[in-house]
Amino acid sequence: MLEIKDLHVCVEEDGTEILKGVNLTINKGEIHAIMGPNGSGKSTLSKAVAGHEAYEVTQGDILFEGESILELEPEERAHLGVFLAFQYPVEVPGVTNKTLLRQAYNTIAREQGREELDPLQFEDYAKDKLDLIDMKEEFLDRSINAGFSGGEKKRNEIFQMAVLNPKLSFLDETDSGLDIDALKTVANGINQIADEDKAVCLVTHYQRILDYVTPDHVHVMIDGKIAKSGDKDLAVKLEEQGYDWLTDVASVSVNGEQ
Amino acid sequence: MAKVKQQTEQTFLQDLLDFQGSLNGKSEFLDEVRLKGAEEVRNTPFPTKKLEDWKFISLRDLYRDSYELASNLEVDFPDFSEHFLPESKESRLVFINGSFSAEHSSTKALPEEVVIGNIANLAAEGNEQLKEHLHKHADFEDDVFTSFNSAFLEDGAFIYVPKDVTVEAPVHLLFIQTDADKNYFTTSRTVVVADEDSEITLVEDHIGLGDNKYFNLPVVELNLEDRSFVKHTKIQRDSFEAIHIARTAASVAQHANYESYTITRGAKLSRNEPRIFQMDEEVEFTVDGLVLIDGDQVSDTHSVMDHRFSHAESHQLHKCVINGKAHSVFNGKIYVQKDAQKIDSFQENRNLLLSRKGLVNTKPQLEIFADDVVCTHGATVGQLEEDELFYLKSRGLDEQQARELLIYAFALETIENITVDSVQELLVDEVHRYTERQLDSELTV
Repeated sequence: MLEIKDLHVCVEEDGTEILKGVNLTINKGEIHAIMGPNGSGKSTLSKAVAGHEAYEVTQGDILFEGESILELEPEERAHLGVFLAFQYPVEVPGVTNKTLLRQAYNTIAREQGREELDPLQFEDYAKDKLDLIDMKEEFLDRSINAGFSGGEKKRNEIFQMAVLNPKLSFLDETDSGLDIDALKTVANGINQIADEDKAVCLVTHYQRILDYVTPDHVHVMIDGKIAKSGDKDLAVKLEEQGYDWLTDVASVSVNGEQ
Repeated sequence: MAKVKQQTEQTFLQDLLDFQGSLNGKSEFLDEVRLKGAEEVRNTPFPTKKLEDWKFISLRDLYRDSYELASNLEVDFPDFSEHFLPESKESRLVFINGSFSAEHSSTKALPEEVVIGNIANLAAEGNEQLKEHLHKHADFEDDVFTSFNSAFLEDGAFIYVPKDVTVEAPVHLLFIQTDADKNYFTTSRTVVVADEDSEITLVEDHIGLGDNKYFNLPVVELNLEDRSFVKHTKIQRDSFEAIHIARTAASVAQHANYESYTITRGAKLSRNEPRIFQMDEEVEFTVDGLVLIDGDQVSDTHSVMDHRFSHAESHQLHKCVINGKAHSVFNGKIYVQKDAQKIDSFQENRNLLLSRKGLVNTKPQLEIFADDVVCTHGATVGQLEEDELFYLKSRGLDEQQARELLIYAFALETIENITVDSVQELLVDEVHRYTERQLDSELTV
C-alpha cells in the first residue's frame, strides 16, 4: 500500500535535512509502529506522507498504491485515502466537528466516486462512529477541538479517522498526554477501525500504547533513518533498554521535535 | 480633544448648497432642518488628514469629484426583489437612491399603533412624533457630514414603537443604490424611537446594484426609552466604487438594551461612526462589527461608547478581514465619566490580515474618569496559520474550502448573534463570495 524509498526531507525554511534516507513498506492489513527518541524525524515522516508544505522532499519517493504522491497536495492525498492524526490538533472555534467532517467526508466521497451524504444521513453515520471512542452526541456539535482537553483532542482525531475511513492512517503521537483510561479508549478505537483492507502506522515515543494495539512490525528511527526493524518484541526491548544500544550505529541529535 | 485649526478647503460639497433650497416648500418643518443644516455646513470646514480623527484616510475622491442630487436623476433599475428578506415580507421600507418607493414597501405586519413610514410623507402630513424626534438624537457636535445630511434631508425612515409594544417581524430598511450615468449623492435619515418596554429588530441594508460611483451619507438616530430593546443590524454592500460615510447615534435610557451589528463589505471608502450615549443608570449595549475588505477598499470605524451613569455593561467586538491592498482603520473610544461607577466594558479589535500589502491601523482608546470600573480593551492582528490550513487540507478540504472555513470561523462570532435567520444565511454567502474573490491572484497580492 505504502512504499517509501530512500526518502530525504529538508525543512524548507532553513534547508536542515531531517530525513536522511528512509525506506519503509507498509502492506494493507498491517499495523506498524515507528518509535524513536525526540528529534529523530518521526513526526517529519508523518507530515511528509501527508504532504505538509514546510517539508521538502529532496530525494527518494513515496508511493501510495503504486503511484508516487510527491506532487500531490495534502487534500489530494486525503482523497486517495491517506490520513494523519495530528500530534497537536488545531483548534477552529466557530466551526463544528459535524460541519468539517461532513464537508470532508463528502469531498472525499465525491473524489472516490462514492455517494455523498445529506446532513441527516451524515448525522446517523457519524453517530455510530462516536461509540468507537466513547463520546456523546454533543461531541458532533462542538467547535473543532476548541476548549477540548488533551485527551478529547486525541479522541477527536481517532473519531475523524473513523468517519473518513482512510486506507492508510499515520497516528502521530496519538498516545502522548493520555491517562490510562483514555489510552485504552483510543487503542480500542484503533483496533476496531483497523481491518484487513487498511493499514495503520503508529508513531510513538513510548511502548505503552503497544500493550493495547499489537503491531505487526516495529521500526526504530534514529537520526533520520530507520535504524532497526523487528516485531513487537523490539518495542519491549526498547522499553527496557532505551535507545542507547542503537545509537552506537547512528549519532543522535536531540533538538526536540518540531 | 485637541483641535487642529483647518484651512477651509473649498469642496464640491459646498458648491452643492446653492441647489439645496430647491428642496423646500413641501414641509416647513423639514425646510427648517435643512436651512439649519446648510448654515452649519457653511460654517464648518470638511475634514482633512490634518485632523487626528481623519489622518488615516483620504477624502480626496469625495472633494474632487462632482456629485448630483440623487433625486434629480432619472434612473432605470433591474428587479431587486432577491434582496427582500423572507421574514420581512410585510415589514419593509424601500428607498431607491434615497427616495421612498411605496411600490416595494409594505408595513402590514406591524401592529397598528406603531408609526412607520417615510419621512417626506410624514413631514408633509405634519406628524407630531416625527417633529418631536427628528434631528434630536444625532448628537454629532460640529460634524459637517451630519449637517450635510440635514441640509439635503429629503426622505428616510421613521419608526415609533409605542409603550409596551413588541414588533415581532424584523423591519427591513432597504436602501437601494442604482447604477447611473452620473455620480450622485444620497442623504437618507433614519429615526427610530422605542418607547418604554417596547421591542424592535431592525435590518438596515445598503445595497449598490451596479459598480458605479456615488456618495452615500446615511444618518441614523435611535432613541431607546426605559426598558426598551432594539436590535440593529446594518449591512453595507454598496458598490465597490462608492463612498459610504455613516453616522449612527443611539441614546439608551434606564434598563434599555441596544444591540448593534455592523457588517461592512462594500464601498471603496467607508467610514462608520457609531456613537452610543448612556442616558441613565443600568443600561446594556453592544456595538459589534465585521469588516470584509479586499482590492483597494478602505474601511474606517470610529466609535464612541459614552458611559455617563453608573451600572452599564457594554461590549464591542470589531473583527476585520483584510486582503489585497485593503486598509482597515479602527478607533474605538470608551468614555467612563466621573460619576459612572460599576461599569463593565469590553472592547476588542481583531484583524485577520490575508495579504502582505493589506494595512491595519487600530487604536482602542479608554478614557476613564471613574474609579470603580472594569474595562478591558485590546487589539490583535493575525494571519491564517499554515498549520491550520494543513490540518483542514489533510482532512480532504481544498485550499478554497479550508480558507473559507477559517475565515467563516473568524467572522462567525459576529454573525452568530444576529437573530434574523435569512440575514445570517446571506452573510455566510457573503463570506463565501469574499473568499472566492480573495483567491483571485490580483487581489491577493
